[in-house]
Amino acid sequence: MTLQNCLILTLFLFAIGVYGVLTRRHLIGILLSIEIILNAANINFIAFARFTTADPTAGAIFPVFVMAVSACEMAVALAIIISMYRHRKNLDVRELEALHG
Amino acid sequence: MHDFLFYGLAGLLVLSSLLVVILPNLLHGAISLIGSFFVTAALYILLQMEFVALAQIMVYIGGIVVFILIIILLTTRLGEESLAPGPGQKVWGLAISGALGGLIFYLVIDSIQPENVAMQADEEAGGLEQIGLRLLDTTSDGFIVPFEIVSVLLFISLVGAVVIARKDK
Repeated sequence: MTLQNCLILTLFLFAIGVYGVLTRRHLIGILLSIEIILNAANINFIAFARFTTADPTAGAIFPVFVMAVSACEMAVALAIIISMYRHRKNLDVRELEALHG
Repeated sequence: MHDFLFYGLAGLLVLSSLLVVILPNLLHGAISLIGSFFVTAALYILLQMEFVALAQIMVYIGGIVVFILIIILLTTRLGEESLAPGPGQKVWGLAISGALGGLIFYLVIDSIQPENVAMQADEEAGGLEQIGLRLLDTTSDGFIVPFEIVSVLLFISLVGAVVIARKDK
């Protein structure tokens, strides 16, 4: 188990998340894929904190902030999803084009 | 032993994350996301970051995924297959994610010096006490300002979520 192993693992997770964001057509599916990307970033923070000499505690604190911000993001995003479902009964991103120019 | 465990966990993590993205039923995808977060917590424990592993289980699995599950149950029928991606969408998604992954691989992998990759023996560094002291430290390398800003952000997003989701009169 080296830093390179962890980086390659998170690279795979990031690519999976990007694939999910691009191929899901349901809004909640896109949110799930974003969670995978954030998870990969957290693993990267922890791996760098553990394998480099600089400052492990700061590396352990950053994922905590990422978790708090992603909890905020989820709360607002799911509120938007509920209100959108109430207005349109449909969460297909291809039909949500109210902001389309 | 450590290496074996790491490869097993990494394989499980990639597999469960792939299931989140591929499964046509969103409910199954969210349950697979729970598995993926549990494996991530195990990986953190393997890297000796116990506090982050506990926070991962409590915040992500206990909070966020349960929240997502409730919203899925509210807005879709149980067992309903979600919309399938279009024919060109899969190809483009595969191409773009592969290109991004390959680009990052090319840029990042060479720049890691081999002398840095030994695991740190410092057991105390990721511990609860260190993290707590550091979060409330008011000197220049402390994290008190982002800590307070995050608390305000949590409050604002809670109020905002209630305002957005309530019924219009």
